[in-house]
Amino acid sequence: MAKKKLSQLGRYKITGELGRGAMGVVYKGQDPALDRTVALKTIILSDDVAGRSDYQARFSQEAKAAGRLNHPQIITVYDFGQEGDLAYMAMEFLKGTELRARMKDGAVGVPEAVHIAEQVAEGLGYAHEHGVVHRDIKPSNIMLMPHDQVKIMDFGIARMRASDHKTSTGLLLGTPKYMSPEQVSGSPVDHRSDIFSLGVVLYEMLTHTKLFSGEDTPQIFHNVVNFQPTAPSRVNPEVPPMLDFVVERALKKDPAVRYQDAFELAADLRSVLAELVHREAAVSKKKGREIDTTKTMKLDPEALRSALQAPAAGAIGSDTRLPVSLRFDCKEAIGRLTEPTRRDRRLLTRPPRPVGLLRGIARDPGKRLLFFAIVVAALAGGAIAFA
Amino acid sequence: MKTTNAAATLASVVFLRIQEFARRPVQEQARLRAQLEAVVAVTVAELAPAARIVLDAADGTAIAVLADPQGALRLAERALPATAAGLPLCIGINHGTVQMASGGENGMIGDGIAVAASVAEFASPSRVLISRSFRDALADVTPGTEAGFFPAGTFTDGGLRTHELFFPDAQAARRRQRRLIALGAAVVIGLVVAGAAARVATGGQQKFLDGVFGKLGISAKQRENYTRGLREKLKF
Repeated sequence: MAKKKLSQLGRYKITGELGRGAMGVVYKGQDPALDRTVALKTIILSDDVAGRSDYQARFSQEAKAAGRLNHPQIITVYDFGQEGDLAYMAMEFLKGTELRARMKDGAVGVPEAVHIAEQVAEGLGYAHEHGVVHRDIKPSNIMLMPHDQVKIMDFGIARMRASDHKTSTGLLLGTPKYMSPEQVSGSPVDHRSDIFSLGVVLYEMLTHTKLFSGEDTPQIFHNVVNFQPTAPSRVNPEVPPMLDFVVERALKKDPAVRYQDAFELAADLRSVLAELVHREAAVSKKKGREIDTTKTMKLDPEALRSALQAPAAGAIGSDTRLPVSLRFDCKEAIGRLTEPTRRDRRLLTRPPRPVGLLRGIARDPGKRLLFFAIVVAALAGGAIAFA
Repeated sequence: MKTTNAAATLASVVFLRIQEFARRPVQEQARLRAQLEAVVAVTVAELAPAARIVLDAADGTAIAVLADPQGALRLAERALPATAAGLPLCIGINHGTVQMASGGENGMIGDGIAVAASVAEFASPSRVLISRSFRDALADVTPGTEAGFFPAGTFTDGGLRTHELFFPDAQAARRRQRRLIALGAAVVIGLVVAGAAARVATGGQQKFLDGVFGKLGISAKQRENYTRGLREKLKF
């Protein structure tokens, strides 16, 4: 963090302070050459000479990569440089609200949440296409702009931060609650990690709850790797079933079965948004006639919710539970298992017996026929021999 | 007597798995799930409500059929044509232990389900695979039906458990029928010939032939003509 009050960074005149973070201070600045307001993100450089040069090289590389990104959903990086023990990045000055603040202020509606996530996915898809992985997608890095526009912030910086905070065990520290399982476990991270993080953000927007919480970081890490989230629609009934599928797929622990492409996620979110808009239009249109519009849905949401909670065939172990379908009435059969009659207890617990000769002859038509043929032939043979 | 925790019981579990469900686009997942719901609704209608418990899996449905292995097999066979309608179903059947968790409030657990899930994992679309334990359960109820299954091989699942699997084969049942008919015919012929041989051994050939022809109402002259004609034919 800056020890003294700054008035100038490179050619930029500092006009105010916008915020403070783990890496440094974010200033509001003025570019005298172009007469425009910029945001200056500063990063304190290491005191260690070797570490410093390495850091500078990486910072330069990341800033260049982020600077190449030109997309409506990604904050524009204008410039970067170094002043004393501070590295800085001059970026587009955004007049908006952080998603984190919006989520704190009040619940984000389902269509709004989907719209935000769709835009973030579009931006991520573009960045991934250009070989840049964000690695720290979280609500505080998503800025909500006027006219429902969304901007992703901190491209490149996030990577610097992650690399800079290696613990003695070599584990990366980012924002644990939004990290992907592969990030947590220290495995190689690619663009699919951003998709997972966006899935967490979307889940939290939809349910207004924290997905991976814990008393300390190891517990959060454990939950990220092992906890299977409840379907969002179970927490918020307004969430449509298709959105459950989208969130479930974005939050797959195994990157290989997650969305492989942020554009694919964006496309699915657009479909969901279209369905939501259609549903809302139908509701408002038919409200006067008191028609139950939920009947237009193809699937039973309750059944889907329980299905989404259940593991897939490949993940079912001997101790894995499968929920009873809510679509079918199974009370009678469950009653036979939970409160069995004496007959049921005998019938349902009896293991299959091997089929013996007599039972085979009595119950198997083929063997019975063979047996009768042998008996008749034996009688005939006996009659011929002794009659 | 009522029990709070059900004892482990045996059931035939039919696992209907949608092939590569997780990898499909979300719209397709929703469509396939709706199709599967319809297929299950139609197929379980044949079973008594007291004989089936429908369970949800993330990529399909499992149906625990109580004390009716034949019903479980019929259900699987009825669900199979859905593949032709664009629902790629992989079906696995197992007979094993199941138990209601917390008196049914928390779903069902058990090795019966786990093995059925593994079997369904090995099955390709439009194919039913059954485990040996299900084959044995089926044989117990209707001896002889086990012959209608052909060995599909031995498979090892992710938990390194080995499963001996079979698939229904209409030809196998016919082959067994043909084998039984051939065996029956051979035994009948053998026994009749043995009887005749015993008679010849005790009374002599001439006496035996006289007796046989006498019973058939054939005179000695007719017999002589007949045997001469037969010899002529054999000579030729």
